[in-house]
Amino acid sequence: MAVQARNMATLKEISMRLKSVSNIAKITKSMKMIASTKVTKAQRAMEAARVYGNSATALYTHAETASAPDSKDLVIVVSSDRGLCGGIHSSLAKGTRKFLHEHPNSSLAIIGQKARAQLQRDQRAKIAITFDGVSKNLPTWNEAALVADEIIKSGVQFDTAQVVYNQFKSVIAFDTVTVPAHSLKSLSESPKLAAYEVEEPVLKNFEEFTLANTLYWGIAEGNASEQAAKRTAMENATKNADEMIGKLTLTYNRSRQASITNDLIDIITGAMAI
Amino acid sequence: MFRHTLRAARPLARTSAVRAYATEASANRLRVNLVVPHQAYLKQVEATQVNLSSTEGDMGILAEHVPTIAQLKPGVIEIFSATEKPQKFFASGGFAIINPDSTLNINAVEAFALEDFDGEAVRRAIEDATRRTNTGSEEERVIAKIELETYEAIAAAVPK
Repeated sequence: MAVQARNMATLKEISMRLKSVSNIAKITKSMKMIASTKVTKAQRAMEAARVYGNSATALYTHAETASAPDSKDLVIVVSSDRGLCGGIHSSLAKGTRKFLHEHPNSSLAIIGQKARAQLQRDQRAKIAITFDGVSKNLPTWNEAALVADEIIKSGVQFDTAQVVYNQFKSVIAFDTVTVPAHSLKSLSESPKLAAYEVEEPVLKNFEEFTLANTLYWGIAEGNASEQAAKRTAMENATKNADEMIGKLTLTYNRSRQASITNDLIDIITGAMAI
Repeated sequence: MFRHTLRAARPLARTSAVRAYATEASANRLRVNLVVPHQAYLKQVEATQVNLSSTEGDMGILAEHVPTIAQLKPGVIEIFSATEKPQKFFASGGFAIINPDSTLNINAVEAFALEDFDGEAVRRAIEDATRRTNTGSEEERVIAKIELETYEAIAAAVPK
């Protein structure tokens, strides 16, 4: 009697587990499909943002702008508020920590709750300003401009802003890179800037414009990398869930057959006793 | 001895190669990139002349123009090329940078081909913006004033 009860309890547990894993598989599968469609859109926005960003920062190459080795930097980390995207946010945190280790005289601006949660643990003192709720949908230049505006309004002093973001290499790969946006001071000190005809107020406006442009570039690429990583993560999760379903189904059937066999044995020994 | 002469010959070859490349780049052609955040309208397009209006005044840019960083005013950007019809875009603002190698990078926040504008919609927008310059907070009035400036520039540029 006791053996029977134990088997049936296990059977029910297994079937409940089977049901919940199937539900999870359905959820992760639909999340993967959503992420796939978002990747194509995000990639298109990113290609345009890349051309735009490269055009905006071409001046640095021609004027040979560089940041001095002891410059005071503002590290702007471009992450997001969304999770379930693989190693996106940890990679950003790691890259940021490495940079801060090499340039201890820097402050931190963080876009996105996930990176903030990771960096708050050990770099809280360096955080100058954080942003939530950026790029809920496709990234727009307006958002980047607003972020740049807030950073400038906050009055944090820096020689060069270093934008840390995840560069989209392919649907399955990304790289955490850093791209500079130079301040007026760094720009004015560029070796070849003297070749250019420019008025001082225009240069100041250009500095702010380029900060917004570089941020937009980082946000667009980061978004594409994130959607791609989310797609891969959900694909792996669905695969794992399917594997679990397979194993659980086998276990369930074996338990069911064992319990039937036990019932038969009881009945037969009972019949033989008569 | 043979190796020594080879090594001496190599640096010469390099400098002459560099010199040839430089002449090619600054030939009589301007290369124009016109980009907005979500689209690249013109990529490395060869042009003979580009007219645009900057905060320092209207500029006509030809190849080998002195390198400049100019801030754009809301206005028309005209691109003339040897082979195609002149193209006209209206840009709301941004920057134009002429580099020493005769490339012109125009980064506009918003820009559209002039023929895509609807004169009627512009007129309505001007009325609306004019109304708003007289009502609301200081910030709202300034915003309305900037809008009005832009719309009037569009109205002046769009063919009736």
